[in-house]
Amino acid sequence: MEKHLDRVMDDVLSNPGVTSCVFVDHQGLCLGARGKASTECAGIIGAIADQAAKLEPQHKSPIIVFENDTRACIIQRNGTITGAIFKNI
Amino acid sequence: MGCCYSFFCKDGDSQQRGEPNERTHLLVDPVSNSANIPQYNSEDFLNNSNTLPKKTDEQSALNRILQETATNVIDVAALDSHNLQQHEYVERMRQYSSKLQQACATNKLPVRHKLCVLQDIPAPEKILSSESVSEDDLNLISTAVTKAAAAIGEIKVEHKEDMVVLFRVPD
Repeated sequence: MEKHLDRVMDDVLSNPGVTSCVFVDHQGLCLGARGKASTECAGIIGAIADQAAKLEPQHKSPIIVFENDTRACIIQRNGTITGAIFKNI
Repeated sequence: MGCCYSFFCKDGDSQQRGEPNERTHLLVDPVSNSANIPQYNSEDFLNNSNTLPKKTDEQSALNRILQETATNVIDVAALDSHNLQQHEYVERMRQYSSKLQQACATNKLPVRHKLCVLQDIPAPEKILSSESVSEDDLNLISTAVTKAAAAIGEIKVEHKEDMVVLFRVPD
């Protein structure tokens, strides 16, 4: 069933600097999480992607990056799925 | 072009500066030149002491010209050699800011409202001028989300047992 998604998440975590990743469905429910990320942030990640997409509805979904001095969170929606990757800078 | 001879030519002016102009004689005075006899007026003998002040006048005029030239010329090479040191910058910055505060206080300028949106960031220009998202990160998130979308599309129920089970009702 979700073996493919597990494999994708493992691939993402194998990238240098990546600490965790979360995938969310269109309702903000968590489809899967790897690493230190909490599954509770799924709803927030989905909401952020929704709000950012409203800025330019005629364009394809934007890539949102939150970062501080040490870490970054990258969010993008593709169709009904939203992915978030947390990584160290 | 110089004039051959003119009654209005004044020898004194052109000779003092040493530059030929339109009033300079092309031919020097033939009488005095050929005879080579210095012309002396009786006044010269009488006012012999006046020659010394004339010389000093010329000297002062020359000095004045030199001084004017020096003030008009900007020596770029000399300017370059004087570089501001770090502490001089800081001193000047303090000086200017204190002057600015004084000027603001005396003129009672209205206090500017904080219009900066990023007021909680100490140096917003540093962050705004920094490099945006790197190409690697963009590729990472876009490939990950695309793959995840494909993976989730493939999710289907794998039934291991029959969905419909006949209950064997004992006869």
